[in-house]
Amino acid sequence: MRSVTTDGSGARDDREAHDDRDGAPYSPEASGDATTDGEFGRPGPNVPTAVEFDGVTKRYGETAAVDSVDLAVREGEFFTVVGPSGCGKTTMLRLVAGFEAPTDGRVRFGGSDVSGVPPEARDVGVVFQNYALFPHLTVGENVGYGLRFSAPPGGVSREERIDALLELVDLPGTSGRDPDSLSGGQRQRVAIARALAPGPDVLLLDEPMSALDARLRERLRLQVRSIQRSLGITTVYVTHDQEEALSVSDRVAVMRDGSVVQVAPPRTVYRRPASRFVAEFVGDNNVFEGVVAARGTVSAAESEGGETVNDDGDEQRVVPVAVHDTTLAIGFGGGSPERADDEGAATATDAHGTGWSSTPRAGDRVVFCVRPQHLQVDRAQNRLRADVEGAEFLGETTRVHLTWSGQQLVLSAEEPLAGAVTVGFDPRDAHVVEHTATDGGADTS
Amino acid sequence: MSDTPHRLRDRVKRRALAALTAATVAVLVVVFYYPVGTVLVEAVVVDGRLTLTVFADLLRDPFYLGEVARLFTGEGPVAVARALAAPDRRLGIVGFTAYQAVLSTILSVALGLPAAYVLARFEFPGRRTLRSVTILPFVLPSIMVAVGFVATFGRNGTLNAVLTAVGVPRVELMFTLEAILIAHAFYNAPLVARVTTAAWESVDASAVETARSLGAGPLRAFLDVVAPQLYPAVLTSAALTFVFTFGTFPIVLALGGFELATVEVFVYRLARDLQYAEAAALALVELAIALGVLFAYLRYEAATAVSARRVRPLPRKPLWPTAWTPRALAERAGIVTYAGIVAVVFLAPIVSMLLASVTTADGSLTLDHYRFLLTRQQTGAAFQVRPWPAVRNSVLFAGASALVALPMGVVVAVITTRASRGRSLVGAVAMAPFAVSGIVVGLGLLRGLVFGVEVAGWRIAVAGSAAIVAAHAVAGYPFVVRTVAPGLASLDASLVESARALGASRARALFDIELPLVWPGVVAGAAFAVAISMGEFTATVVLATGADAYTMPVAIERFIGRRLGPATAMGVVLLVVTGVSFLVIERLGGEVRDY
Repeated sequence: MRSVTTDGSGARDDREAHDDRDGAPYSPEASGDATTDGEFGRPGPNVPTAVEFDGVTKRYGETAAVDSVDLAVREGEFFTVVGPSGCGKTTMLRLVAGFEAPTDGRVRFGGSDVSGVPPEARDVGVVFQNYALFPHLTVGENVGYGLRFSAPPGGVSREERIDALLELVDLPGTSGRDPDSLSGGQRQRVAIARALAPGPDVLLLDEPMSALDARLRERLRLQVRSIQRSLGITTVYVTHDQEEALSVSDRVAVMRDGSVVQVAPPRTVYRRPASRFVAEFVGDNNVFEGVVAARGTVSAAESEGGETVNDDGDEQRVVPVAVHDTTLAIGFGGGSPERADDEGAATATDAHGTGWSSTPRAGDRVVFCVRPQHLQVDRAQNRLRADVEGAEFLGETTRVHLTWSGQQLVLSAEEPLAGAVTVGFDPRDAHVVEHTATDGGADTS
Repeated sequence: MSDTPHRLRDRVKRRALAALTAATVAVLVVVFYYPVGTVLVEAVVVDGRLTLTVFADLLRDPFYLGEVARLFTGEGPVAVARALAAPDRRLGIVGFTAYQAVLSTILSVALGLPAAYVLARFEFPGRRTLRSVTILPFVLPSIMVAVGFVATFGRNGTLNAVLTAVGVPRVELMFTLEAILIAHAFYNAPLVARVTTAAWESVDASAVETARSLGAGPLRAFLDVVAPQLYPAVLTSAALTFVFTFGTFPIVLALGGFELATVEVFVYRLARDLQYAEAAALALVELAIALGVLFAYLRYEAATAVSARRVRPLPRKPLWPTAWTPRALAERAGIVTYAGIVAVVFLAPIVSMLLASVTTADGSLTLDHYRFLLTRQQTGAAFQVRPWPAVRNSVLFAGASALVALPMGVVVAVITTRASRGRSLVGAVAMAPFAVSGIVVGLGLLRGLVFGVEVAGWRIAVAGSAAIVAAHAVAGYPFVVRTVAPGLASLDASLVESARALGASRARALFDIELPLVWPGVVAGAAFAVAISMGEFTATVVLATGADAYTMPVAIERFIGRRLGPATAMGVVLLVVTGVSFLVIERLGGEVRDY
């Protein structure tokens, strides 16, 4: 919670260890926080927690919109909550903002419980899907509204602060304009400037791009990311668009039916989805179900070596899996896609993988996925004879839809295909999402 | 810039809403619930003892309840039904009041729906002005309307003048049910038209087009898609019309004569004859019926809230058709006929009143009636009603009551929009003045406040004028609620939430964001409150007895007895003052939007 002193410095005791971001001028170099240790400059696990969900449940009548969620958003992080409509992501945001109160559990800001703290006393800035600009105020008055309740950070005057923010969102000189006269993208940027003007600790955005066309969306999300980077402000972003989530976030939380299914950096979520749902939700994917076959029915690919190393440098074991009367060679093992832990806290992997299928036995049920770009026509391993159903020309690639043994497959190619084709994939490009041992013990995450 | 003053103001503002609510409730209790309560309680407390005999006698009296009284004398429902079916059935006063209210409602709906059709589906120059004008009949003082219709339907009225000029024998419409029904339709058909037009304009054209593409013809598409969205509007305006016409007073007084008295007229008579117990019992019966309908209306209205989503409205046809198909011709012919009827119903009373004010009994033009007003002003005795005090009082009371009604109405509107539970209850409380007899309100204020109340040895009394202002404010604030609440309800919730996330308290968000955005509704409410006050007759006539605080409507009523001339002259004055005030407020406040 903020205590604004009369000189407007906004310093808090428990943040003495960090730079006083509120007072610092906006500089792109400000993102170099000493406690960042993740890749690409994102906040690593040792960075203090800005917003925390501690066993939070929100029920409306019988249904739980948010079900026992534990989550920690790090300071300075761009954290995205993504999921299909109705998964509870907007409710999560409203719980942080204070528009809803949890039925169970606690929401914490910097360690302190914020239950009972009304929205106006929480140090958050909110950008809504429809921007919610006040139609009877000018752009400048909109941006300056929050400054009626607290002094502008950094000791500058109100006008200076408004102008600085409008510069930041690339709308200089629009202070006197009517919100109605702006385009959708411009309104969105004014809404962001308005939310940032009082210098909040946390920025919340609820599907802010939904009302914009695709091109604008791509441009603006990069702009939002760059603003967030330059300010170093903790940001929680909610969207249903998984491509958007992957492109700008430090970490992504995938939600389904009120529960968080996986929390990890975008690369991990994409390459090592924790469950079938995540595998199918994030990007196109081909999901196969099969049964581990006994040795002796091995394919030539597997006989190359029982063990191999995948792209991440993890050691893997190549195992035969029977899918639709065909035996395929699949690579088992590698870093486990922890659900709630970050890859920075990954447990050590042994040569055969972690608590994940260390010994796949014949008869075990396995679900694995292969990304469309890894299904290729000229591959020698895991050959599948499939019929082309149709192709979509997308410019950079062509998405080809195939049917193999009654199952729909998707592959990316440079040229469209037709008729019957044979495609294959490298065992190392298969990612196991579920592994059920025959003794009933499921080994999924 | 220190933010301490902000915090202080914030704290005050947070309490401000609660304080305003408490003040509104206090005012309502003092000027409405307490006075009305003291009168109604007399139905069951006689000579200090609790008794139901007065009530029971009333319910058993066929004079009041007609054949339905048999139910209370022990006969079964079958006997009642048989008696009602008999040709010589008695309706009783209550029965007749309900009967004329139902007929008035049917006539109002029949007269109002075609107007809604024209306003919603056609485009023509002056359409928007016409739409705004539909509010006028409703705010015209009822006594003035009554005078206008007397001038139209009277033996020497304009209707007969036109008929004799054409060679048709005269008609006797005075003191008939038909005259009352037409006068009621004058008031309420525009209400029906207004509400239905709004509903019609919010029908999504895409829905109709979808129905057509699926195979429905134009009529079928209308019946299946459009009509279901119009029923709620028609039903709610019909319910309101019933409640208003059930409690009608000045119109029946002027046009009904002795035989066509309604409940309200009898309440007045009984009260005047100091038979308070019977008056109160009758008023209670009236209240029960009106409240029942009102409550049903509120529940229905809540269930059929119009969505704030912008829809593409149905396209408008030009009044002058592009192609003269038989259908277009038939439609335009119908519209022309309807316009003729409307002109007669709505223009006739106004024009007749204007004419009557400048004609003598034998038909020659004269300014005698206005001169009479002037001479009365200059030479009238103290006990006589004089024009200038009437005008001055009307204007002053209107301004004062609007100042009271506005904050009250806004507070109640905020509560009804914000409350999740008990919204119907608060709504019913807000609309209660519609359902209570104006006579009872006036009487309660007179005895309760004007004559004063003994509290701990002190006599607390209120001047007659203050009581009149109170009565007018109570009559006016429900209209403020009705113009402000829809605007508040249709505001995007994310506007308030954005303000709160930026640091505004709930009350601060109300003042900074919500109220400015519903300002047109506030202005419309103010215009209503002023017009209602200027036209208020029922409670005022009770409170102005003997006092110097009479208003224009009261003056009209006093003049109406002797001869029509001065009454119509006074009526013209009232029309001009009301119209000008209404327009001035509208102009000052910007465009008027409601519903």
